[in-house]
Amino acid sequence: MSVPPVALISGGSRGLGAALVEAWLAAGHRVATFSRSESPTLARLLADPATAERLHWHAVDAADPDAIRGFVAGVAARFGRVDLLVNNAGIVHEGVLPTMREQAIEATIALNLTATILLTQACSKLMLRQGGGCIVNISSVNAVRGHPGVSVYSATKGALEAFTRSLARELGPRGIRVNTVAPGYFESDMVAGMPAEEKARLARRTPLGRLADVQDLVRAIRFLASEDAAFITGQTLIVDGGITC
Amino acid sequence: MLSEERIAGAVEDAIRAVLADRGEAEIAFDATTALNAGIGLSSMDLAMLVAELEATTGLDPFARLVPITEVRRVGDLIEAYRRAAAGEEPAEDPGLAAAAALAQRRRQGRGTG
Repeated sequence: MSVPPVALISGGSRGLGAALVEAWLAAGHRVATFSRSESPTLARLLADPATAERLHWHAVDAADPDAIRGFVAGVAARFGRVDLLVNNAGIVHEGVLPTMREQAIEATIALNLTATILLTQACSKLMLRQGGGCIVNISSVNAVRGHPGVSVYSATKGALEAFTRSLARELGPRGIRVNTVAPGYFESDMVAGMPAEEKARLARRTPLGRLADVQDLVRAIRFLASEDAAFITGQTLIVDGGITC
Repeated sequence: MLSEERIAGAVEDAIRAVLADRGEAEIAFDATTALNAGIGLSSMDLAMLVAELEATTGLDPFARLVPITEVRRVGDLIEAYRRAAAGEEPAEDPGLAAAAALAQRRRQGRGTG
C-alpha cells in the first residue's frame, strides 16, 4: 500500500483552514497544521481514531520564525515529507490607514507575509530534497480590486501574488508548482459580523448571485494541488463568483 | 558538535551527490574550487545542497549567520558549516539589528487570527 501524501495547511483551526484540513483528511492524506490555539474542529479530529494518526497539530505563534522552522522540522520527523503546502493563515485589521495603529500594520505584515515566506522557505527545502511539491498561497480579491479599510491587508495579499510568480520561476525546474487562490467574500468568521443587508448587496453585485461557500474554495485549491493542474504554475485563480470581472 | 573533518566530509559528499544527479560525478574539486565557475553549481543547485546538508547536519548557516553571497568556493561552504557547528553568533549588522528589533516589535504586537 502506498504511503499517503502529506499536506501542510497553515491556520487550520477554523474557517477555510479547518475545511481544508477536514477535506484532505477525508481524502486519506496525512495533514499537518498549526494555529495559535486548538479549536473544537481540531479537538474532534485529534480525538477521532480515524484521523488522529494522520493529523499533526501544534500550537504555533506564526510570528516566531524559530517556531515556524521547528514546526516544519517536526512534520519532517513525523511524516518525512511535505507534498502540498497551503499558506492559509492570515489576519485582517480593518481600518483606514491614516488612523491605523503601527502595531496593527506590523502584525498584519508579520503574519500574512513574513511568516508565510518563512514557512514556504522551510517547506521548499523539503520539496527540493524529495524532488517536487506543490504550494498554494491564499490571497484575496482585495489584491485585485481596491476596497477602503483594508489597504495593509491588500498590500500583503498583493505581495503574496508577486511572491507566487517569482517563486514559481525559481522552483519550477525542480518540479515544484506555486499558485495562488484569491477568494472573494465567503461565508466565514471574517464576514460573520457583516450586516445581512451588506451581504445581500455583495450577493447582488456578484454575477453568480451569492457569496462563496467555503467548499467552493476547497475545490479550487484541490484542483490546483491535483495532477489536473500539473502544467499550471505561477498563476492566480480568482474564486469570487465573478465579482471582479 | 560535529568535527571539522566530518563537516568537510558532509559538504564534499553533498557536492558529489549534486554532481552525480547531473551525471557529472567524475568532476574533481578541492577547497579552492569555485562553486559556480569551477563545478558549475547554479544558485538552485546550491539551495539543494544546503537543504541536503540541513537534513544531514541539522545546521543552516545561511538562515542568520553567513550571507550566501559570501560563499564562492568549496572551502567557503565548509567554513560556513564549521562556524555554524561551533555555535558562532552572527556579527552585529546595524541594518539587520534594526530589522530584528522591528520583528520583535511585530511579535509583541500581534493581533487576532
